[in-house]
Amino acid sequence: MKKQRRTRHSGRLRGDSGQHRRILAMAVFLGVAAFIPVALQLYKLMVTDYDYYYEKAQNNQTRTTLVAPDRGTVYDRNMNILACSEGVETVYLNPRELRQAGVDLEETAQELGALLEKEPQWILEQAKDFSMRYKKIADSIDSETAEKLRTYINTQALSGIHLEPASKRVYPYGTLASQVIGFVNASNTGSEGVEAAYDSYLQGGSGKVVTGKGNNEMDMPYSYEAYQAAQPGCDVVLTLDTTVQACLEKQMAAAIDRYDVQNGAFGMVMDVDTGEILAMATLGGYDPNDYLRICDEATAEKLKALQQQYTSLPEGTQKYEEARQQYLQALQAAQLKQWRNRCISDGYEPGSTFKVLTMAAALDSGAISLNSSFHCGGAENIPGRSQLLHCWRSTGHGSQQTPQALQNSCNIAFAHIALSLGGERFYEYIRNFGVMEKTGIDLAGESKGIFFDRELVTNTQKWGTASLTSGSFGQTFKLTPLQLVRAIACVVNGGYLLEPYMVSEVTDSQGNTVLRQEPTVLRQVISNETSKTMCSLMESVVTDGTAKNAQVYGFSIGGKTGTSEKIDVLDENGNPTLDKIVSFVGVAPMDDPRYIVLVALDTPSRQTGLYISGGVMAAPTVGAVLADILPYLGVSRSYPEDAPQGKTVTLQDLTGCTVEQAKELLQQQGLEALIQGNAQTVTAQVPCPGTQVTGGSQVILYCGPMAQQQTVLVPDFTGMTYQQAADKARKVGLCILPQGNQDLSGATVATLQSCPAGSPVPVGTTVRLTFTDPALRD
Amino acid sequence: MAAGKALYAKEDRRRRTLAGETVDIPFLVILLLVLAVGLTMLYSASCAQSLYDTGYRSSTRYLQRQAVCAVIGLVAMALISRVPAEFWLKMAWPLYFGSIVLLLLVLLFGQTVNGAKRWINIAGLQFQPSEIAKFTLILLFAKLTRGFGEDAKTFRYGVLGFGVALMGILVPLALERHLSAIMLMGMVAVVMMFVAGTRGKWLMAGAAGAVVFVVVYVSLLGYAGDRITAWFHPEQDPGNTGYQILQSLYAIGSGGLFGLGFGKSKQKYMYLPFQYNDYIFAVVCEELGLVGALLIIALFGALILRGYWIALRARDRFSTVLAAGLITQIAVQTILNMGVVTNLLPSTGVALPFFSYGGTALAVNLGEMGILLSISRYRNRAAKQEEFL
Repeated sequence: MKKQRRTRHSGRLRGDSGQHRRILAMAVFLGVAAFIPVALQLYKLMVTDYDYYYEKAQNNQTRTTLVAPDRGTVYDRNMNILACSEGVETVYLNPRELRQAGVDLEETAQELGALLEKEPQWILEQAKDFSMRYKKIADSIDSETAEKLRTYINTQALSGIHLEPASKRVYPYGTLASQVIGFVNASNTGSEGVEAAYDSYLQGGSGKVVTGKGNNEMDMPYSYEAYQAAQPGCDVVLTLDTTVQACLEKQMAAAIDRYDVQNGAFGMVMDVDTGEILAMATLGGYDPNDYLRICDEATAEKLKALQQQYTSLPEGTQKYEEARQQYLQALQAAQLKQWRNRCISDGYEPGSTFKVLTMAAALDSGAISLNSSFHCGGAENIPGRSQLLHCWRSTGHGSQQTPQALQNSCNIAFAHIALSLGGERFYEYIRNFGVMEKTGIDLAGESKGIFFDRELVTNTQKWGTASLTSGSFGQTFKLTPLQLVRAIACVVNGGYLLEPYMVSEVTDSQGNTVLRQEPTVLRQVISNETSKTMCSLMESVVTDGTAKNAQVYGFSIGGKTGTSEKIDVLDENGNPTLDKIVSFVGVAPMDDPRYIVLVALDTPSRQTGLYISGGVMAAPTVGAVLADILPYLGVSRSYPEDAPQGKTVTLQDLTGCTVEQAKELLQQQGLEALIQGNAQTVTAQVPCPGTQVTGGSQVILYCGPMAQQQTVLVPDFTGMTYQQAADKARKVGLCILPQGNQDLSGATVATLQSCPAGSPVPVGTTVRLTFTDPALRD
Repeated sequence: MAAGKALYAKEDRRRRTLAGETVDIPFLVILLLVLAVGLTMLYSASCAQSLYDTGYRSSTRYLQRQAVCAVIGLVAMALISRVPAEFWLKMAWPLYFGSIVLLLLVLLFGQTVNGAKRWINIAGLQFQPSEIAKFTLILLFAKLTRGFGEDAKTFRYGVLGFGVALMGILVPLALERHLSAIMLMGMVAVVMMFVAGTRGKWLMAGAAGAVVFVVVYVSLLGYAGDRITAWFHPEQDPGNTGYQILQSLYAIGSGGLFGLGFGKSKQKYMYLPFQYNDYIFAVVCEELGLVGALLIIALFGALILRGYWIALRARDRFSTVLAAGLITQIAVQTILNMGVVTNLLPSTGVALPFFSYGGTALAVNLGEMGILLSISRYRNRAAKQEEFL
């Protein structure tokens, strides 16, 4: 057998049956066939799906870092910077790198702590978190500190401490117009105001750095960086004028102080012909540089107490958690409140200021004429109205014609005007005045008020006349301050309803205009004639009516006062608190109205003893604002011929003149001379040349050797009539300049003096006295 | 046994008359080429890891260690190529039992690396006894094949005989949880049994049993689900279970037709884990592209084919089966590794011979190639002549 097999398979070995074939089969299988699927798979991965894997690998091996663009600057109309971004740097540690480099953490933490004004212990904790590659230890450090830090890092040859550029938003004017400008929140997005409304323009486009890097931050010998520059944000130019804004805020703050206003104030200045907002203020604001901090001291105090309350409790307990929640909620509410722009976001009952619209509608529609007459008996039963309608003057205004109805702000007359106008026309006019729609101002957070349903004022058969009559004098509905200002601007500008705007221009970083806003007239609501009539009526409210306290010497001012009870504010017992918002809308100059100013004071305290009304509190505030801003805005003063006291004159240089000449020159200007000394020529004068003094003032002429300049103590003029004040001033050798209410007959008293009582001033100093009629109601 | 001795005496005479004096030069050339390319690629694949681990001081830490083992392996290969097959025939049983003892020692005193107990320290030398066990199993199978002769076709010898020998190694490995070694040895064993003449139906049944075993064993290890999901849908968990294979595929795919160029892999910069051992082939593909990868596959194919060529021309049956077993081991390892790296197969942990970092494996592989060379030295010229005439 063996032999046979060996013969057959000559040269082969024993037990070889089929083995040769099987090895060949394995050779083909393991040497060739098994590699075919591998080769096919490689072909698929490397050729067919190459693009897919190439991209995946690219994404895998690169790090894309976004480069934040520089946010645009916000300018006022005179190119004063209201908001801008400042380059700062952020410091972070790479704990892994620190460990790898074997940095002495203790010492470094000490040094960093000193440089960055941080707790070294805290920095050490951050540096020891070795699981991390990024630990931010300082934010917004300025370039000087950054340079010091760099020097330190370089001299010590440290690795693992990095600086990266960041930007910080800066608001140079602090709290000024804060709600209008808004702020940029932690996620670098504009919040509130212009920052929010124009965020997409201001933001700019992010750039990016694509870095090829190994994993675990390992450097690759052929790593690369691709840089795409960030697109800087556009600049925004506002219609706001910081000077006007500052005047408005200053006077509002003074009013809050003077009248002990409990709940802040809001006001604005608008160009009646264009709808540009020159100033818009909500007092009780915040500093956008530190927008989380509560600016209102009383509120901050309360919050601090709440915070102390919860921190004193043992941590982790139910009570602790509850108190903490209470604090956080209060904090958040306070923040939201101080960020709120009440001029556009909150509705309020306008009260009597609204009568301007009712009267304009009634005159324009022909429902009444200037000669229509109305009787006010103090109280009246209006058909269709269940409640007896009271006028603010319980004795009544008697018989009055249209102008007097407005001057007296007589509710009964207005109820009759509304009835003659009829619900249908009343509703239509009010709607056309834009009271039921948003004004479309380019700010974030605008709301619209709540007006009656059409049915409620038009279908008097069904619903009675309560809504119509109350509506006619601005009660039982709400509109936003801006809606009211726009509607009254429409009344005085010839009847054109405008779209108010805050931003006049947006320019890109190269200075190209991206967006320009022009005045937009939406519609004409009343005729030019009606508008003219309304102007003279509104002026008469200031000259003869409830708004006399808004008078400013040299300017013709028109306006309407308003006082409204906040019917929806209840005390703890659920009774109305009878808190009031007093307001005044002023327009100037009346021969060609250009500016409209609203100031509303929310809840003046009853403690001051003053009568709480728009005429007593808001009107003089607006008057003061106008007195400040009109000269600045280039409106020239003009004096009626018959008002010598009201006329201010500029003193000429009288030194060198003979006493007689000087006396005569002064007399021509309506001034009195007080001679000191015996010489024949004037050697000095008080006030000095160039000073503006009011007609009838005293000028001290020093003749001969200069007498030693005397000082006097300013007396307390408040409460005096003009005559009393003038006498007192003459006695002590001071000049007075009356301001405010021009009625100096004795009905008005001085309420403000420019130099505080008791302060020593040189003889001859002019003290400006603001006269107010303390009894004006509306 | 007496008959065997007599036969051996005859064969010995034949050897003296027919044997060649030199080793098979083509095989040696291909082998050295594979080794050279392998070491070069190891340098490229490991330099990033080396820089990282040494704090940028050295890019050759792993190359140096591997090169030392390569030199040791080459010396061993040269020496072993002069050892006649008879020596191995005599040593088969002692080595087999010796390796079982080593495997058991690992279980008792082994070092745990990456959660598996596979390493042992002997006289300061750290190595994986499973590498030795692979060789001794092949050696024993060759000896058994020679002894069984035609009986290998019976169940008693062809299945039970080989089976018991196989289990002697696989059971300790299973206790070591060394699945990749079990799979590799199982496959090599099946191929060798096939060559020996074990009936196809038994092998089929055995393969089915093996599949059942692997499934059960893997589920017992507790990460079966993850591994299977990672295999089919690596993108579902790219940060965790799918990370390894995705990084591998990114490396391979981004290589494209011609690759990024030698040394220019990006994935090796700590993105692709195990880039210098189990997944070195992904770096090869990324740097050398499809063309380079296919050339390297061709090189492996040539090595394997020439290895079987040597087996076919061996002087006796023991040598034939031993050579076939050794080259089968290289082939199976290569194919498993490439299959895993290209995601044709689920992740197992098999290294690429002559490329992957690992000193024991390289030295042992080279030593085994020494045996192949030795067998080629004493090849049967008559058979060759007859076959190709």
